[in-house]
Amino acid sequence: MNGTVVKNQLIFDFASGLLGPAKSLFASTYLHLNSNASRISFTFENMLGENLIDNENIHPKNLKYTDCINGENSKSTSYVEDPVNSFFGSLNNLNWKQIYKGFNEYTAKIDDKDELKLIKMDPGVSVPLHSHGGKEYILVLEGSFCDEYGEYCKGDIQINDQKIKHTPIASRDTGCVCLSITEKDVIFFGKYGSFLNLFTFIKSFFKPK
Amino acid sequence: MEKSHLINLMNRIKIDRDEMAFSEIFDFFAPKVNAYFIQNGIRFERSEELTQEVLSSVWVKSDLYDSNKSALSTWIFTIARNKKIDFFRKNSKIDFKEEDIREFLYQDREVDLIEENEAKAQIEKINNELDEQQKIMIKMNFFENKSHKKIADELEIPLGTVKSRIRHILTKMQGFLR
Repeated sequence: MNGTVVKNQLIFDFASGLLGPAKSLFASTYLHLNSNASRISFTFENMLGENLIDNENIHPKNLKYTDCINGENSKSTSYVEDPVNSFFGSLNNLNWKQIYKGFNEYTAKIDDKDELKLIKMDPGVSVPLHSHGGKEYILVLEGSFCDEYGEYCKGDIQINDQKIKHTPIASRDTGCVCLSITEKDVIFFGKYGSFLNLFTFIKSFFKPK
Repeated sequence: MEKSHLINLMNRIKIDRDEMAFSEIFDFFAPKVNAYFIQNGIRFERSEELTQEVLSSVWVKSDLYDSNKSALSTWIFTIARNKKIDFFRKNSKIDFKEEDIREFLYQDREVDLIEENEAKAQIEKINNELDEQQKIMIKMNFFENKSHKKIADELEIPLGTVKSRIRHILTKMQGFLR
């Protein structure tokens, strides 16, 4: 499956209400930052709306329209908030955990099978060559990074699976803040690879449950 | 029901709080929304309660509906979908002791780059490209939220075929989503 199809799958699943809390937060942030993704989601919601218009009728037995008429017309206005700020608050006030120099993480406290993390990389910092045990979703919130496959800026998303090995490097000017979803642990290669894999292995015993 | 008629009904609800207009909207949508919940695996009595919540929202929040921004069916679908997510969340083993993140996930987004008409044109193109079985699969997967396994059982085709066909449909739709 190519990358764009996987991205659209994420958008469709979100529009359908199929995602768990971690991926929902990730996807809504993606739509907030990326107008193209937002348009695709809107088109797809319209398709689902047409399914509703053409849907079969199963009549409620004990429900009349008068049961639904209560309350004044709500004048509340909806406004668009940044999902990341709503959930995490100001990123500067977070209790970041340093993984190594220039690379910090903050794991969201969401009870879900997927892990949602914020990643902050200082300018020019890189991640050693690695691949992924399960799928990994990366969304750029601030700054940019690049790897063997291209450059990723604010609102861009990268989805990695087992086949992809890469070495991301944060922009030398701005550094990079990303939101990430990990389905399973990452596998490292290269000089420090075995050490980092051991570290990840040991770390897994200390995961708060 | 004609789209212009639906818009007219919504305006009467919005401005005049016209109960007769609402009863027409109710008669048209309530059985379809109820069916949506049942298709999503919610049993009958609960589906009826959720349908009541959806139609009550239509009455109370009519002021938030903007016919220039989206079709009425899309608006009502999103209300029903959000009720469904709430329902499954409350019934899941997942513990949401953290603040409720659902609240701000599905807010009304400002889609200023696309008109409802433009979305409609895209959908028409997609619909012309998909055959009947492909449309049914889209509906089963994304509207009724059935698993690939369940789709395979109901359509009496192998699971692998369902997976590859859905992948094929997504790739096909790709070209029309800009």
